[in-house]
Amino acid sequence: MLALTASLPTTPLMLHFIKSVGFAMLLAGLAGCGSLQNDIDVPLPSYSAELVVECYLEPGKVPSLAVTTSVPYLSATLPQVPPDVKVTLTLPDGKAVALEFRPNYAVLLDTGSVIKFYTHIGRDTLKARPGDVFKLDVRDTQGRVVTGTTTMLALVPIDSVEYKFNDKTGSERKAYFLTNFRDPSTPNDAYRVQLHKGNPAKGALLKRPETDISLEDQLVNGKPVVVGTSYRFVAGDTVTVTLYHTDAAFYRFRQSVRDARSANGNPFAQPAAILSTVQGGVGIFSVLSATRATKVVK
Amino acid sequence: MLFSSAARCLLLVVLVVCVAGFWGSVWSQEGPRYTISGTVRGDKGEALPGASVAVPALSTGTAADSLGHFALPLPAGRHQLVVAFVGYQQLTRELNLTRNQRLNLALEASGNELGEVVVQGTVTLAAKLKSTQMGVERLTIREAKLLPALFGEVDILKTLQLKPGVQSGGEGTSGLFVRGGSADQNLVLIDNALVYNPNHLFGLFSVFNSDAVQSVDLYKSGFPAQFGGRLSSVVDVKMREGDRQKNVVTGGVGLISSRLTFEGPINKGKGSFIVSGRRTYFDIFTRALNKANEDTKDYSPIPDYYFYDFNLKANYTLGKKDQVFLTGYLGRDAFGFNSPGGFDFKFNWGNAIGSLRWNHTFSDKLFVNTSVSVSDYNYDLTNRFDQFSFGLGSNITDYSARTDFEYTPNDRHLLKAGAQLTQHRFGVGRLEANSGDGRVNFGSDVSYNGLDGALYASDNYKASDKLQLEGGLRLTGFQSGSNRYGGLEPRGSARYSLSNNTSLKASYAMMYQYVHLVTNSGASLPTDIWYPSRLSVKPQQSQQVSTGASFLLGKGKYLLTNEVYYKWGRNQVDFRDGAQLFVNPELDTEFIFGKSWSYGNELYLEKKTGKTTGWIGYTLAWSWRNFQPQRGTNGINNGEDFRPTYDRRHNLTVVVLHQLSPRLNFTGSFIYTSGSLTTLPLGRFGLQDIPGSRTGIDPRPVPIYPNRNSYQLIPYHRLDLGVVYKIGARLNQDLTLSIYNAYNRRNAYFVFFEDIEDENDRITGFQAKQVSLFPVIPSLTYNFRF
Repeated sequence: MLALTASLPTTPLMLHFIKSVGFAMLLAGLAGCGSLQNDIDVPLPSYSAELVVECYLEPGKVPSLAVTTSVPYLSATLPQVPPDVKVTLTLPDGKAVALEFRPNYAVLLDTGSVIKFYTHIGRDTLKARPGDVFKLDVRDTQGRVVTGTTTMLALVPIDSVEYKFNDKTGSERKAYFLTNFRDPSTPNDAYRVQLHKGNPAKGALLKRPETDISLEDQLVNGKPVVVGTSYRFVAGDTVTVTLYHTDAAFYRFRQSVRDARSANGNPFAQPAAILSTVQGGVGIFSVLSATRATKVVK
Repeated sequence: MLFSSAARCLLLVVLVVCVAGFWGSVWSQEGPRYTISGTVRGDKGEALPGASVAVPALSTGTAADSLGHFALPLPAGRHQLVVAFVGYQQLTRELNLTRNQRLNLALEASGNELGEVVVQGTVTLAAKLKSTQMGVERLTIREAKLLPALFGEVDILKTLQLKPGVQSGGEGTSGLFVRGGSADQNLVLIDNALVYNPNHLFGLFSVFNSDAVQSVDLYKSGFPAQFGGRLSSVVDVKMREGDRQKNVVTGGVGLISSRLTFEGPINKGKGSFIVSGRRTYFDIFTRALNKANEDTKDYSPIPDYYFYDFNLKANYTLGKKDQVFLTGYLGRDAFGFNSPGGFDFKFNWGNAIGSLRWNHTFSDKLFVNTSVSVSDYNYDLTNRFDQFSFGLGSNITDYSARTDFEYTPNDRHLLKAGAQLTQHRFGVGRLEANSGDGRVNFGSDVSYNGLDGALYASDNYKASDKLQLEGGLRLTGFQSGSNRYGGLEPRGSARYSLSNNTSLKASYAMMYQYVHLVTNSGASLPTDIWYPSRLSVKPQQSQQVSTGASFLLGKGKYLLTNEVYYKWGRNQVDFRDGAQLFVNPELDTEFIFGKSWSYGNELYLEKKTGKTTGWIGYTLAWSWRNFQPQRGTNGINNGEDFRPTYDRRHNLTVVVLHQLSPRLNFTGSFIYTSGSLTTLPLGRFGLQDIPGSRTGIDPRPVPIYPNRNSYQLIPYHRLDLGVVYKIGARLNQDLTLSIYNAYNRRNAYFVFFEDIEDENDRITGFQAKQVSLFPVIPSLTYNFRF
């Protein structure tokens, strides 16, 4: 995936590229010198499990979230679902809504599922407008408490989407895609841009995206932003752009998850603590603010 | 305010120097005394900085300065003068001193033209015993060239890692971690010009071409007052001056690079020059491999990579009292990648350094060096895709001027004083994005200026035959924008001789560091940038006390030294977890600050005489850091004390060089250190992400790293062996065989956890894997000199 953007987010990608390629180059030259990798036993210090909360509120959808627990890294067990957790969502009007423990375990067994796993779910669809503040309270019988607060950000309109084909023919004739929008003048905005291929009415937007790019507005505050892809679309593709407007905490949580994953096995990695947006545990609590645009590549 | 206090401090410095000078004048009224002065050179006319000039009968002596100059006051009468330098035959000269006398001393290289270490080192060790300077290690390139090296690439920084108190950053890397300090706290100089990034290829090789280097001094404590700006060490590299007698071509062909050097006299020996170049040839092989596989389906081309460097030095004697020196260095690493999809990526980085120095001798007792220099380090990263281009870069550029006076009023005092001024330009981040149609046109440039100044004075005072003291003061100041910082750095050391063979020493030094390396990884990356002290980022400070004893054993053949040190620092810098260090206009907010302390004992046995030479060093050391919760973070490890990755409890090195015959040398080095510290995840959790981010449940675990550096890798040990066989009638060629990691030890480079999956690609468990970097690596290098 290649991001062409007038913003900074390509730099972590390139840094990652530098590190990865540099390291691969070192190893490649030595690969023929016998096994340089061997199994070892690592006696890790004891680890106390924490509550893990993952909650993305969406306007017009029934609120749900997944509460699990972390586990020692080398244990054979999967992350656990604690059955004794009570979840309370406080709406902008101050009304506290209890989310019922009703896990949809079936999706865990379906590798093709586009439905997200949840442990707790509400009854009514969510009403949310920009500026609305939501609060979350998660507690179990062991006294562990996780809390969080999130604010729905303003919708950022997509100014235009466009594509351009390369000069090749036949199966190699492909187009890249550009998404144009303007960052508001407020600081500390962040974005996540997903491009899905296929018919939105048939669930295409719930599947794996073609591209998924995150960026901050540090260097483009209040300026036009262009986000691009590599040559990857062909004539006939229906492409839907989803532009999520997020806060810096959401962006940093995702970056920290990416950094933590890449740090395992990368000797050049920087320290990679998870930067949760909740307190008392690990995880993310956010309300999604999304705009969309669809275009058919011809 | 800053400069009024600066003026007071300068006055204090001047007073100290004046009082010392007066004291010395009074002392010297005991009888007629005269000064011998001059230059110590090798047989090719090259100056020999650090050469020992001594009168053993009086237990007195001195060391030649960086230009090979010396001045030694002596009582009138007959004396036997002994001059020595590692790799050269000892020179003895009888003197009848009845007036000030000027001597130009030439030492013959020992052995043959390629040189070897069959040294008359007794005087060198004796001079070291009697010096007030503690914690200094001198390495000549002749020693370094004999020792076995990774891929046969002689590397003076890696050789320094074999000295006690110095740790490496990891397998095969050139980074120096001195007495608990980090790699960015080393002042690396080449002919007094600052080197910002002394590494090629992510730290695997240093930028110093062995053919162009004369020697290197590493100061670990008791820093002389003329040095400042970094907390932990001074790496003072001196380039060769070139042959003053005849034109000479030297070079070498190795496993990964070749070197070529041309040197010779200027104007019938009034000066000399040396030009040296080196280039790797990884890229030649990888291009051939890529071409051979260009039709192979799914073949991923290997990126191009090479580095090169050029060194230049010239000197010219303008008259009896004036000499000028020109030094230049240019080195680049180049990395390129062209993907079949039309994505072009280029990444270049390197240093460019130039300095011009004028040496003027006022009298036998007073001379001055005045120099101007420029030092630049930059990287440029560009990629192109279709009509779009993206560029990222950073640089730091220094323009410096300095003057250094050295005055020897009598045989009791050696006074030094000087001033230094540096203008910095910190290009912290430069970003450009453009499209051919002009719709994307974006640029950002985050840069700052800085002004760095220093005044210093010191006096090396011989109170008696037994007691010698050195005191110094260094006044430093730094300004960036409206931010001003300054401080007084006292330095002091003392030596007391219990006998001709035993000395006790002690030293103290305070150091300030006004520029900080922005790095958040364990490796030396070319994208690491420098940031000035400004806004909330205050200067780093450290203090160190050390004490020790030296014993000359075996009729002067061995020097046994034991030193104990304690070093503590404040305003040490690190970065918050998840810090964004690239082109961040608010980089200041990503810093966090803490304190450090380290302590240890270094035991060091050296032998520099006879056919078998070498050293044994053992260090027992502790390093700690503490970063309290601050700036919206939990600090590091929740504010608890923690050990940095380079904290190694035990470090043993054994280096042996043996000359079997004039043609044949055997060398070996062995190193054992405690395992380095690393960060491993203790827990994990699952994460699904937002709707529409993937199909199915994401099986990849998210690791949880509660604390940094909580796991210790296995101990590191390695044996390297080398053979140097000289060929040719004049022994002017050699074949050097190096065997790196001779017993094929699988040292740990890093550890990671690999997923264990079943036939349905489901994760069923995890296995810890240890990765080693270098197995046994033999290499052969051909060197020549014509």
